[in-house]
Amino acid sequence: MKQVLEGSQAVAEAVRLARVKVISAYPITPQTHIVEFLSDICATGRLKAKYIHVESEHSAMAALIGAAAAGVRTFTASSSQGLALMHELLHWTAGARLPVVMAEVNRALGAPWNVWTEQTDSLAQRDTGWIQLYCENSQEALDTTIQAFYLAELVNLPVMIVLDAFYLSHTYEPVDLPDQDQVDQFLPGFTPKFQMDTKNPCAFNQLSPPNVLMEMRYNMQLAMEHTIKNFPDMEDKFFEIFGRRYGAVEPVMCDDADIILVTSGTVTSTSRNIIQKLRDQGEKVGLLKIKMFRPFPVEEIRRILGRADKVAVVDRNFSFGASGIFAQEIRAAISGMPGCPAVFGYIAGLGGRDITFDTLQEIYRLTKKDEKPKLDSHWMELREVDYEIECC
Amino acid sequence: MNKNVSQTKFPVYIARSRQTTEVNKTGSWRVMCPEYEEKTSPCSAACPAGEDIALIQMFTTRGLFKKAWEKILMENPFPAVCGRVCYHPCETVCNRKQFDEPVAINSIERFLSDTADKNGYRPSFEKPETKKEKIAIIGAGPAGLSAAWFLSRMGYPCDIFEEKSEPGGILRWGIPPYRLPAGVLQGEIDLIAAAGAEIHCNRPVSALFLTDIKKKYNAVFMGCGHGQSESLNIEGENLAVDGLNFLSELRQGKTRRLHGRVVVLGGGNTAVDVARSVLRLGGTPLVIYRRRREDMPAFPQDVNMALEEGIELLELYGPAKIEKNNKDYLLTLQKMHVAGLEDGKRAAIEPDVGKTKKISAQMVVKAIGAGPAETWHKPPVAGKDILHLSNAILSFDNAGFPVIFGGDLASEIESVVHAVASGKHAAIALDILFNKGRNKITKKMEICSVGNGSSFSFETYLNRNHRPRRPEIVSYEQINTDYFSKAQRITVQRLPKEEAINSFAETALNIPENFAVQEAARCFNCGICTQCDNCFIFCPDVAVIHDKSKQGRHINYDYCKGCGLCVAECPRSAMTLKGEHQ
Ligand code: SF4
Ligand code: SF4
Repeated sequence: MKQVLEGSQAVAEAVRLARVKVISAYPITPQTHIVEFLSDICATGRLKAKYIHVESEHSAMAALIGAAAAGVRTFTASSSQGLALMHELLHWTAGARLPVVMAEVNRALGAPWNVWTEQTDSLAQRDTGWIQLYCENSQEALDTTIQAFYLAELVNLPVMIVLDAFYLSHTYEPVDLPDQDQVDQFLPGFTPKFQMDTKNPCAFNQLSPPNVLMEMRYNMQLAMEHTIKNFPDMEDKFFEIFGRRYGAVEPVMCDDADIILVTSGTVTSTSRNIIQKLRDQGEKVGLLKIKMFRPFPVEEIRRILGRADKVAVVDRNFSFGASGIFAQEIRAAISGMPGCPAVFGYIAGLGGRDITFDTLQEIYRLTKKDEKPKLDSHWMELREVDYEIECC
Repeated sequence: MNKNVSQTKFPVYIARSRQTTEVNKTGSWRVMCPEYEEKTSPCSAACPAGEDIALIQMFTTRGLFKKAWEKILMENPFPAVCGRVCYHPCETVCNRKQFDEPVAINSIERFLSDTADKNGYRPSFEKPETKKEKIAIIGAGPAGLSAAWFLSRMGYPCDIFEEKSEPGGILRWGIPPYRLPAGVLQGEIDLIAAAGAEIHCNRPVSALFLTDIKKKYNAVFMGCGHGQSESLNIEGENLAVDGLNFLSELRQGKTRRLHGRVVVLGGGNTAVDVARSVLRLGGTPLVIYRRRREDMPAFPQDVNMALEEGIELLELYGPAKIEKNNKDYLLTLQKMHVAGLEDGKRAAIEPDVGKTKKISAQMVVKAIGAGPAETWHKPPVAGKDILHLSNAILSFDNAGFPVIFGGDLASEIESVVHAVASGKHAAIALDILFNKGRNKITKKMEICSVGNGSSFSFETYLNRNHRPRRPEIVSYEQINTDYFSKAQRITVQRLPKEEAINSFAETALNIPENFAVQEAARCFNCGICTQCDNCFIFCPDVAVIHDKSKQGRHINYDYCKGCGLCVAECPRSAMTLKGEHQ
């Protein structure tokens, strides 16, 4: 049934439909709406779950580690500093192979304080062993949340669903809210592969010496690969029930494109329009949306980008001393390919600055103009700062 | 339907061990050792009757009102009386005072007694075996009645001889009904009588009768109180009405309406009660006291209530002369000034020579204190066979017959709860005397003292001296206040002033159940285990083991590594961390 939902609400409804048993969270803007909706859903009995209000994000994840180890479906949501505070336990969750699901609303990390969107917070967690899925709109956020439980329980890795602050988390859109029956069909009750059981006592994650640890790590990588392999199959099942599919990456008019724009998150929607407009003007341009960042679907990306001359990566994030993080990953993915396209990196929209039609048009113009990129990262639309006056 | 994906055959390689960690006896690391050890709450030690207040509040919080009421009765047969007129020294030392405000212990006592009355509770104490020793009790005041209560509960047959027409002593004749309604008092006297004592009224006891009694009884308890008002030693003293008589006549319904100024001389509880009664009878009381307001021996809360009712107080004036002046009286007052402190407490005063003042009044009442009515009421002051107990004095006459003095005759502070304490201490002392001999009294009583103080627990004594608590008194610093949140203390509702001063109806109103429970829940329950299970929850070594013992749990020292978390997280210091070899 179509309903007009806020992005945060779409996630919360998906958590309800997934029949999560334990939710633990600490509020932080711009994620707060998600847990507010959920606490309300729990309080009114629409979801029979234990909602644990904790004193910090570190404790929120710790509580879920306990609950997930006990063998139930778990969920939390966080953002920015909160996610950073969880960092230690993000590693633990993945290493312990617990299928925890989290919604992460991208927000710039302080200092200085800023509550607006920027992907650096989630991307800084890329090596924790969590699956990361970036969403473009509320429908995708809802669907991906349901899928996240599927994937997490399939390979026993935690999943992070990533949303842009405000553009997605606080925007109302028509969303198709599935029936409980449909979701139950896609996502039956959770039967854990292992769980704490007082009748069969054992210790989990005890001291593990060098002769076993490496194999455990390798097993996690196998799980990541298994995720990529099984993603299409999962989407087929999802499509059969819900009639929607997204792809780990989604190419738009890439087959004959000379220049391919690479995006993630909400900026993809704006880009779809630009591409169409440029195509109408006869430009041979395409768009590659990256939904799955971890595991990184290298094969597919190589296959799609390999045919283009140039790739323009829009990064709403930055790795200081290096470049935009998606650009880095794309460069690494396609390096060594015969006729490897040139990768132009653009930094735009940090701390919630708008990435407009004009911004994207300018990115295309710059990419087309030069044979090779002059810089690893081109910072878009930087204001003139009068250092004499504004600096200390 | 999809098969649950989590059941697909994807191998997960994780660290899992079925080896028991029980082989690792972390107890061997221990240098400090936690123990369950209940301690004494400051309020209980400060209550002269030694009531188990921490436990009473716990029962009240849980709605176990009868149990809570019986806990009071265990140590004090007068919960309804004390819940109204006790000056509650317990609240003065309440640990909660340092957090926000003391627990309203006295009001909860009142609530429990009202609840008991409303529901017709009867105490379910075990019936003792009748003892062969018989005790004669002189005076049916609070001390004598208390002595009877505790003696009866140990099976001693008692006869109380009372010179007045009804029992109660100062409670009946000296406290006006707006503070203590007669029915409330009678209810508790009935309860005491039901425990076995015979009360014989209209039986004045003479020195001769006392000699006679010694033949029929094995001991005498002297609780005659202070029946004789002290003298002012001024000219015209006989023109003044005696305060105690005034209150007693009021109780008998003999009092007429008053009008105009009535001077009340004195600063004690009797003076305050007279003044408030005068107000209710239509007069305009003026209390005249030689020292300052803060030096008044009356309990401060009663003085405050009198002033709130609009009663005037003239400080630092002493009466010098009373004269008759037509229908009125003319009073000459001597101005006083403060000349240092007496025992570092109340003001020492001297007359301001030449400074006097005259006032006229329709009536003058003197209420400056009282003493024993007869010399033989007084306890002997010296002699080798005299044993000073707290609030009681045990003596033996030439023939070795035990006479034990209690109540105002033997207490430093004249209060109902001290009278209760004296009755209890006398009863325990006599029981030890009859069973173990005189030499054992001090030692045996020490074991049942509450804390290490001057209050004694009848319950501990009955339990064959098995001390339930350590005498150590829990200090505020020993309370883990993280587990408590600030909450306002209840205020007892009172009759509106206009209504109060026009009748003798009780001024303090009943306390609603939800308020009482809320108030009891403010109590830290200092030093007692409330089964909160924090120790169990916090022990990182799962060394707290539930069992069926009274404590409900014990520590498995094979695994307790002595980190002390349990002790730190016990909100109320019912556990102690000791050195391993202590
Ligand atoms: S908090 Fe409770 S137990 Fe502690 S002193 Fe006050 S009334 Fe007594
Ligand atoms: S917390 Fe447990 S291990 Fe630590 S001292 Fe207490 S009982 Fe012993």
